[in-house]
Amino acid sequence: MASMSENPRTAIGPTLSRRQFVKAGGALVVGFKVIGPSILKASAKPALFMNSLDPALGSSWVEIHPDNTVLIRTGKSDFGQGSTFTAYRQIVAEELSVPFEAITTVISGDTDRTPDGSGAFDFLGGGTPNIRKAAAYTYQALLDLASEKLGVAKDKLSVKDGVVSGAGKSISYGDLVKNQQLTLTIPVKGELTSIMGLTIEGNPPMKPVSAYTIIGKSFKNSVISSKVGAKETWATDVRLPGMLHARVVHPKTLGSTLVSAGQIDKTKFPNSQVVVKGNLVGVVAPTEWEAIQAAEQVAGATKWTDWKGLPGNEKLHKYLRDEADWTSATVTQGEGNKGDVAPLLASAHKKHSATYQLSYMKHAPIGPTMAVGDVKPDGTIHIYTHNQNPQALRGEIAIMLKTTPDHVIVHSFPGPGHYGRSNGGNAGAEDEAVLLSQAVGKPVRVQWMRADDLQWSTQSSAAYSDIQVALNEKGKIAAYQVDHYMPAMQDDRPIGAVLAGLPTMAAPNPHGDSVTNTANGIEDPWVYAPILNVAEHGHGTYQVGEKASPIAVGLRDHSMRTPGQFQQNYPRELAISEAAALAGADSIQFRIDHASEERATSVLKAVRDASGWDTRPSPRSNPASTGATLLRGRGVSLMLRNGSYWACVCQIAVTPSSGKIVVEKYTIAVDPGIVVNPIALKRNVEGGAIMGISHALFEEVIFNESGITQDDWISYPIPTMSDIPEIKVVLLNNPKVGAYGGGSEAANALAAPAIAAALHDATGKILRRLPLKPAYVQAALKA
Amino acid sequence: MITLNVNGARRDVQAPDDTPLLYVLRNHLQLIGPQFGCGLAQCGACAVLVDGKEARSCVTSVASVVNSEITTLEGLPARWAKQKGLSAEQARATLHPVQQAWIEEQTPQCGFCQNGMMIKATELLESNPNPSVAQIKDAFTNSGPSPNLCRCGTYVAIIEAVQHAATLMAKGR
Repeated sequence: MASMSENPRTAIGPTLSRRQFVKAGGALVVGFKVIGPSILKASAKPALFMNSLDPALGSSWVEIHPDNTVLIRTGKSDFGQGSTFTAYRQIVAEELSVPFEAITTVISGDTDRTPDGSGAFDFLGGGTPNIRKAAAYTYQALLDLASEKLGVAKDKLSVKDGVVSGAGKSISYGDLVKNQQLTLTIPVKGELTSIMGLTIEGNPPMKPVSAYTIIGKSFKNSVISSKVGAKETWATDVRLPGMLHARVVHPKTLGSTLVSAGQIDKTKFPNSQVVVKGNLVGVVAPTEWEAIQAAEQVAGATKWTDWKGLPGNEKLHKYLRDEADWTSATVTQGEGNKGDVAPLLASAHKKHSATYQLSYMKHAPIGPTMAVGDVKPDGTIHIYTHNQNPQALRGEIAIMLKTTPDHVIVHSFPGPGHYGRSNGGNAGAEDEAVLLSQAVGKPVRVQWMRADDLQWSTQSSAAYSDIQVALNEKGKIAAYQVDHYMPAMQDDRPIGAVLAGLPTMAAPNPHGDSVTNTANGIEDPWVYAPILNVAEHGHGTYQVGEKASPIAVGLRDHSMRTPGQFQQNYPRELAISEAAALAGADSIQFRIDHASEERATSVLKAVRDASGWDTRPSPRSNPASTGATLLRGRGVSLMLRNGSYWACVCQIAVTPSSGKIVVEKYTIAVDPGIVVNPIALKRNVEGGAIMGISHALFEEVIFNESGITQDDWISYPIPTMSDIPEIKVVLLNNPKVGAYGGGSEAANALAAPAIAAALHDATGKILRRLPLKPAYVQAALKA
Repeated sequence: MITLNVNGARRDVQAPDDTPLLYVLRNHLQLIGPQFGCGLAQCGACAVLVDGKEARSCVTSVASVVNSEITTLEGLPARWAKQKGLSAEQARATLHPVQQAWIEEQTPQCGFCQNGMMIKATELLESNPNPSVAQIKDAFTNSGPSPNLCRCGTYVAIIEAVQHAATLMAKGR
């Protein structure tokens, strides 16, 4: 393909090359060249591109076609945020100055058809996602082409709806690329199969925000139409020729080893077979119903060792404080740390000291994880699944089978959202499907059942925090100190590989890289700049039970929506509300008085106005903590996440005798900088708000000394439609920020500290433990 | 051989009598609207209409519905067309107003539960063409074998879409 590189020339650092006179069609395809370290550590570079985009082939982020349509590609998979189908189209259309509708095709997530990897998080990339830069580079290249073709200086050209005009002449993008094969090469760095994938480098000129006409409008998400119309192919719908159905018989406990696998009752299940690999037991059958029934029969006949190595959820926080090893991981420091807290805490006019506790929670996708694995006779491995980071999965499967990532292709399809569980590459069934396919020589579809998904998936880490706040005579915070304690929560070892005893990446440990390290980084950006003495420390440890488990499992943890920051923002924001109460101050005004950033005070004022907040100290006058009468209270919380400022107000009613809390009204404001798509953002925020109420009121992993005991939606409840409050979303479009911030995280974290503060407001009693379940609330009110 | 009446057509399938309807629909008939969510009739992702009433196909044996009229998500447009007496040509070009409202309100996030939500909405609107918010909440929480659950938290968008669908149906769109 070297002939494609003839006549190369420079366009703002990137390189544009062409091959003239392609007989039909023609296109401008935007490929990339690698700078910095090798894209992929584990494999030789040429092999990598056997089934991924080859820069030498001009594989593209953006393709301009002769019919004036545009195709875009992203390695990110949609998980319901809709960004790839709405914001990404708008961003590219805006940078190219083409209509939104011109972008007819979005290819996402498939490892052989998309360029950049990384996970289904941070879609807007701190305001400059890869796709924006790719489009900006492409726009400059198109201007160069037009300048040459029209004989008009580049700075005299303008573009509207994909037509370049200047000096009385004009030409469409389609005509510019017609009958040519053009390749634009742009700079890229990173590691393709790492959690962050590749990043486009350089600083191409971007369209000024003041000139935007497409960003800021509520374009519809195309995938919603196909899903609603039953036209979408979901991962659950993939059926390959000769494919078998499978269920996995997971061990009896999170530390059991296999004694003997049960035999199939061939009189009942003549077409089923058992596959055993180490401690991985699978049952494979031609039909799904036979696989389910045969797996149940085999499970009953399979013998496992017993194991008791977990503290049990009732003793969890005692274990974390008294027994967990917090000495091996590096202690982390907050970026906002300053001054000297110790003397001020010692001499405080008033002082607040407390411990805050969070439970383990499940990602709990509405459909359990599943995947189809197809190991071909030539060693090529295909995986069909719903995955947040297909390139990382590719790397993990290669490690498991001691091959190179070029032999692994991950095909992405829509599926049930799982809120971070697979952002490091796997959700649970992918590797099992591959191993069972390898064993039987046919494509195998592994579907976890509801109990597998609750008991054998990873969870969001439990945590606790010790906080001390010193108030001065003026009722202002003179010093703030926190020590956050949390077990590691990014275990990306595929569970099937672990059970089968095959190679995986390391479990989290004190010497691991940024992903596998047990250190607990400070994830909640400090927003109270005027406080002069701040000391935030993060303490990490191993996952609970993992080292004691003979199969190295225990309670495996994984980041979940607003990871780490949820565990740190809940204690901080509840403590700030308590400090306000101690100072006799209104908790919104107290925050405004301790924040200097105008965007922070704006979101606080926005929720104050929108919620009908009455300015006064907490608790309310005549709070009560007994009786069967509904008591009302309200609380607030504040967060900065990925460039977006958030605040929420929860107005609750609590019945002291039952301990039941009902959120009656929920008001949330976000300033994300530029709002790209208002309806998409609003829907994401509403969803996050409801998930946040769920986290605050319902969600706690219940486990004994052997494993998780929850196995269905009764034992692990989430809200029903009747549990939702009146929800008011305030979007504060803030173009002067000049960047787009994220909108699908943070909202799920804001409710917990606001509801806990509202409980204090209503009753005068504080409960510093999540979730705020009736039994815990009842006990706290009696205390 | 079992003969089913699905989406207005007779369909013959070879499956054991106790096979849950869900697997017959998805694996034999390639009707993939209903999804596997829990297998326990606790979430609603697998819902279909059986003689106009919402049922959980994950716990409904195929043999128990041989004499019933089954409607899946795929069959909603034809169901609406039949109710409105639309021509075959009109019917092919239409969506059920519930589906139309789900698009216009941009209701789904991941969308995995929305099959059941649209089935429940259709059942509700066929008996109550203009439900209040309280009636919508009651229907989606109390009328089925279990509440219809959404993990993404789209309940606000569902309520708005049901109300919008009621408007569309009243207009006869």
